[in-house]
Amino acid sequence: MSLRIFVEGDDDKKFIIKLLNDLKQNKEIKVQDNINFNNYFEVMGGKKKLLDNNHEKYQRIASKIGFEIKKALFIFDCDFEIDDKNCNGMQESQKCYSDLIEKLNWNIENDVYIFNKNLDYFLVETINTKECYEYFDKLVNCLDVEKVKPNKKPIANLYRDLYPYPQFEFKDDRFNPIKYKLKNLFKEPI
Amino acid sequence: MSEHFIKNIEIKNFKCFEDFKAEGFGRVNLIGGKNNVGKTAFMEACYISKSNTIQNLYERLLEIDSHRNIINNLILNKGRRQNLQDLINANKSISIFNQKVYYNEEMDDEMTCGLTMIQFEKEIGLIKIYTHKESIEMMVDDEQDKITYSRLIEILDIYFSETSHKFTQNFISQYSNSNEELENIIGQSKLDNKYDTLNKYLLEVFDISNIDIIKNKPMIKSNGDYKELSFFGQGIKAFINIVSSILTLKNDIIYLDEIDNGIHYTNLDKLWEIILTISKEQNVQVFATTHSKECIESYARVAKKLEDEEIAFIELCRREKEIKAFVYPYDWFIDEIEQEHEVRGCL
Repeated sequence: MSLRIFVEGDDDKKFIIKLLNDLKQNKEIKVQDNINFNNYFEVMGGKKKLLDNNHEKYQRIASKIGFEIKKALFIFDCDFEIDDKNCNGMQESQKCYSDLIEKLNWNIENDVYIFNKNLDYFLVETINTKECYEYFDKLVNCLDVEKVKPNKKPIANLYRDLYPYPQFEFKDDRFNPIKYKLKNLFKEPI
Repeated sequence: MSEHFIKNIEIKNFKCFEDFKAEGFGRVNLIGGKNNVGKTAFMEACYISKSNTIQNLYERLLEIDSHRNIINNLILNKGRRQNLQDLINANKSISIFNQKVYYNEEMDDEMTCGLTMIQFEKEIGLIKIYTHKESIEMMVDDEQDKITYSRLIEILDIYFSETSHKFTQNFISQYSNSNEELENIIGQSKLDNKYDTLNKYLLEVFDISNIDIIKNKPMIKSNGDYKELSFFGQGIKAFINIVSSILTLKNDIIYLDEIDNGIHYTNLDKLWEIILTISKEQNVQVFATTHSKECIESYARVAKKLEDEEIAFIELCRREKEIKAFVYPYDWFIDEIEQEHEVRGCL
C-alpha cells in the first residue's frame, strides 16, 4: 500500500516532512526507521496546477492509482480572494478541490487539508516568540504593507530570511488538524 | 524511433508473466524493480520476440537458457543442468512470447504479422511455433498438460539436434564476459573498424593504454606491459563487453543484464555517456537492468546533460500475482529523480 501527498511547492513539502519526522519521533505514526518521506510527495508547482485535473502529473500518476497508490492527501493554501475569486478563500478552495476530485475520478481514499490564508501565516502564528511576532505584526500593519502585497505575509518572509531552518512548535494546538490528517494517512503499514 | 525498435510488448504465460503489457519504450531503456520481479525475464521476452526464423528463435531460447544455467549453477554450486528455474516457475506453463503473445488462443489475423509465437495445444500434445517467416509443428510425446521452459528447450534440442551454443553480442550479462567471448567481440570491433573507438573510450575511463588480442588472448597494456585481461577486474571486462558489443551492432537491439555489475559508481556517468552516444550513432536500442540507485541517478543525470529525450525508465512492480510496468518517458523520469522518488519497484 502506498500513498501520495500533493503539495503546491518545495517549501510546503519541506514543512510537511518536518512535521512527519516529528510525528515519527514521537511514535504518533508507525513507519520504518529508514523511511524516505520524499517518496510520498508530489510537488505540483503551485495551487493553480494542483487544482488542475489536466495537469500532466495527474495524467501520469493515474496509472499507479489503485495498483500502487491507495490513499491521497491534498494540501494547499486557501490564499486571498483578492488574488483569484475562482479558487481562493476557504469556501472557493473547497469547491475547487471537490471539483478536482470529481474530475480525477480516482477510486481511492482522498482527503484534503487547506491552510487558512497560507502556510506562512500559519507558521508565523505558531512560532514560539510570540512577542516578537506581535511587534513585527504591528509594524507591518502600521506600514499598511498588506495592501500592496496581500498574498505574501512580509513577516513570514522576514522570519524565513532570518531563520532558514526555523524550529516550529509542533505541540501548538493549531497543528492538531493537519497532524490528524497525516496520522490517518499513515495509520496502515506502508 | 527506428522501425526495428521494440516500442511495446505483450507477454502471456512466460516465466513470471501471466498477462502483461507495457508500451512506450525509448531508444535506451533502463529497467528497475525489486528482486525476482522479472526484470531479466522481461528482457528475455523482448529478446525472443525479435526472432525471425525458427532456428533463430531456438538459438535465442537456448542463449537465455544458458545464461540462466550459469547463474543457477553458481547459486546451486552444481555443474549439472539446473532446475532452479523450473522450481521458480513450478506449474507455470510456457507458451508464447512476443510483442504479441498468446497461449491457446485463436490467432487474430491482424496480430500475426511479424510475430513470434509458440502455441501448445494440450489436447493433442502439439507445439506450433510461428515466426513471421516460417512455422513448424512438433508433437510432444508425453502427457503433460503444461510445457515448462526447460521442456521446451529439450524439445527444440531434439528437433534441431544441436546443443553447442555461443553467446551472441545481443544479450550481455556478467556471465558472457569470458575470455572467449571478449576475444570474439574485440576481434569483431577490429573487423568493423571500431577498434580505435573502443580503445579511445577505454582510455577515458580506465588507467590503461591499450587492449589487443595477442596469442589468441585478450591482453591489456598497462604501465608499459601487456597483461592478460583475466588479470583485471570484472568492471573493465563488463565495460569492454558492453561498449564493443554496441559498437559492432548496427540497427539492432542489445540487452544488458545488471549493467552496473562490477563497475565502480564513479565510472557510471562515463559509461552512460558512451552508451547514449554510441547507441544513437549505431541506431541500437538498449534494454538494461539494474538494482542500483546510483546507476539510475547517473542514467538520469547523463540523459539530462546530453538532452537525450529518447530514453525511458521501466519500473516493474508486483502486487500479489500481478506484475505491472510503469514506463517513464524522459520528462516523467527526470521529474521522479529530481523529486527523490524511489523508482526501483512500487512501495
